[in-house]
Amino acid sequence: MSESSTHSIDISAMQRSQQALRIEDEKVCLSVKDLHLYYGEKEALKGIDMIIPEKKVTAFIGPSGCGKSTLLRCFNRMNDLVDSCRITGEINLHDTNIYEKGTDVAELRRRVGMVFQKPNPFPKSIYENVAYGLRIQGINKKRVIDETVEWALRSAALWDEVKDRLHESALGMSGGQQQRLVIARTVAVKPEVLLLDEPASALDPISTLKIEELIHELKNEFTIAIVTHNMQQAARVSDYTAFMYMGDMVEFGDTNSLFTNPTKQQTEDYITGRYG
Amino acid sequence: MSTELKQKKQTVSQWVKSGDPWVWLNAGAVAISVIMVLGLLLLIAVRGLGHFWPADIERGTYSLPGSEPYTLIAERVESTEVPAAQLREAGIPVDDQYDLMMRSLMKTGNRDVYGSDFRWIIDEYFTDITKPEMLFAAERHEWGNLYGYLKAVKEGGEVVAETSDLTPTDSALATWAAFEQSIDRATDIYDQIHEVEKFEIGEINHKLERLRLEQRRLELDGELTPEKLADIDAERAEQDAKYEVLQQRLIELYGQINRDTFVVQVMDGSIHEMQVAKVVRAYRPNAMGIMAKMGFYGAKVWEFLSAEPREANTEGGVFPAIFGTVMMVLLMTVLVTPFGVVAAIYLREYASQGFVTRTIRIAVNNLAGVPSIVYGVFGLGFFIYFLGSGIDQAFFPEALPSPTFGTGGLMWASITLALLTVPVVIVATEEGLSRIPRSVREGSLALGATKAETLWRVVLPMASPAIMTGVILAVARAAGEVAPLMLVGVVKLAPSLPLDGNYPYLHLDQKFMHLGFHIYDVGFQSPNVEAARPLVYATALLLVIVIATLNLAAVTIRNHLREKYKSLDM
Repeated sequence: MSESSTHSIDISAMQRSQQALRIEDEKVCLSVKDLHLYYGEKEALKGIDMIIPEKKVTAFIGPSGCGKSTLLRCFNRMNDLVDSCRITGEINLHDTNIYEKGTDVAELRRRVGMVFQKPNPFPKSIYENVAYGLRIQGINKKRVIDETVEWALRSAALWDEVKDRLHESALGMSGGQQQRLVIARTVAVKPEVLLLDEPASALDPISTLKIEELIHELKNEFTIAIVTHNMQQAARVSDYTAFMYMGDMVEFGDTNSLFTNPTKQQTEDYITGRYG
Repeated sequence: MSTELKQKKQTVSQWVKSGDPWVWLNAGAVAISVIMVLGLLLLIAVRGLGHFWPADIERGTYSLPGSEPYTLIAERVESTEVPAAQLREAGIPVDDQYDLMMRSLMKTGNRDVYGSDFRWIIDEYFTDITKPEMLFAAERHEWGNLYGYLKAVKEGGEVVAETSDLTPTDSALATWAAFEQSIDRATDIYDQIHEVEKFEIGEINHKLERLRLEQRRLELDGELTPEKLADIDAERAEQDAKYEVLQQRLIELYGQINRDTFVVQVMDGSIHEMQVAKVVRAYRPNAMGIMAKMGFYGAKVWEFLSAEPREANTEGGVFPAIFGTVMMVLLMTVLVTPFGVVAAIYLREYASQGFVTRTIRIAVNNLAGVPSIVYGVFGLGFFIYFLGSGIDQAFFPEALPSPTFGTGGLMWASITLALLTVPVVIVATEEGLSRIPRSVREGSLALGATKAETLWRVVLPMASPAIMTGVILAVARAAGEVAPLMLVGVVKLAPSLPLDGNYPYLHLDQKFMHLGFHIYDVGFQSPNVEAARPLVYATALLLVIVIATLNLAAVTIRNHLREKYKSLDM
């Protein structure tokens, strides 16, 4: 992985994927069908159709307010928390519509984990932060929890840094560590999908790099959807990229093609920095 | 040089513009508040704490013009300067040469002899003042203090020690030593009697009362079989036997305690013989050094804190009132915290934030402003007369017609105060809940926690410092309330503490004493206002200290919680 921080598109990152990816060949994890979302009268998502392929990284890019975070929050029904929010259409996780009546939202959110823009560890110890999701599920066996905590912290590349202070407050960690702790916390409940909402935007470059490396590791086990403002980051970490604009899905395809040979003028304008 | 010129040229409007007056105004307001609070504390501290200091006993001749001169033996309580004209108007024939005169309140004690404890004198006519070492003061179980010279000590009518000297000669000191010894013995026996009467006989009475209630209950239920009756009678006989033994012991102790007497000469020269058993403690303040006085002071303060009141609350301690206050506040806290928190959670987290919720919130805020006596009336009318008598009918029919919960008591007082303070807790908790960052809640929800789990495991712990703030405010308000308590369970003198060794240990139905009410009672309902006044200050100081201590405890807990959850600045 490159440490380049220039503003040009990082070619080496794109050359990483040797053979060309084809969306048709992928196993489908999440599929979105004609999704409309309204905040009161305002239509924030205008009929989205797409799929999120399994065990791949899908990036969402687009200017602020284009609806990419909103779409991401639809995947684990976080928008339910907004009173004025209304949704039509469907999102299928494998073959079940998550917006069907009677869906166990808590179970859905366990299967579709989410990491937010700002690190939001709980005011508990590092250990308890990671164990939180397990305790919620009623797992109380110390041995099981110990093992899972270690596994999750290792998965988040945090174990070596914190193994000697597991029982200290998570609030004493640096921002980057906190964000990796939040990832570990999410990973600990073994979700199928990881939703990352600008996970590195509040972090310094070194921490950002670590998070990106981590994403690369995690995609072996999880389906990952990431929202980012940073196009270099999208190019570096993702297999597929969706470009959104004003609530529409403008273009969706494998990252390589989208960045080198966009089919839509809007996409090209955006990735070359003409607006946004 | 140039700056000086500039300063001279500064106009009023420039000065106003500079913001200085604003700073002065703010600082002045703070300074005045601080001075007022410190002044208040200082006043009650000085007045209250001074009471326990053993004042010197003065002896002199009081010769008011137009009256017969007499010898006065007394403690000086306070002095004020008054215009002579005012005294003349009051009918006291003072000399024309004076414009201002010092007037003093003297505590002469010996209420049984003179009829009153105190008299006002004009200092100018009180002459030949000495402080004889052999003058002594004796605190008694009744009739207040005694001042005079000790003449003799008798054991069962036989003179043990005797003196005719008013100066510290050998015989006078020997008589004093005998007196002190006799007091120690009497105090010892008095404690034993107290122990037997209060605890052992108290326990038997408690058991007999329970047996009576048991029998009555069985009777009411129609289950009083001869066997059960026999059981009860057997147990009653057992308790009666125990009582007989204790009764014998008491008679014996009373015989012993009344053995000794002492002879005292008071200020008008008359001789009186009194029982040593009536004396709590005797001391000669004029002969005491500063260390001895400090020791005495410590003992008096400790008595004030730890003993029960004597003589219509004007002497002795206030322990039952301290205990009652703390007990009631703690019980109130236990009741109000969960109730207020649960209500706040519903209002903030679950209720839809519409018109109804807003109205309820406003109503709750306004409840905090309702005068406390209104809560007292409500407590009396609803809790005691309605709920209490209902409870009595349902659960304690055997005790009727005497009420169990159908009268004021610790529980109803605590509940009434909980009702009074619940708005404070609700408002503070809501405030705390609204400050928990959304991101933390979302973090929990995104891990598959339900809303309730998120509340319970993340939000509430993080809001706990705010909840504690509410509790602190509630405690501060409740501990100082008196008016509603007078209606729902506080009494002038409670025979026993609401927590003791008799089943069920915590007596929620019992009436109790309270420091705030004690102040009112001692200060304004007392037969002996002059004697009680210093106690009012002392009790007020104590009330402030108790409230401050309770608050400090809560503040400590809150700071600890804040330290734990100090991530809130996200």
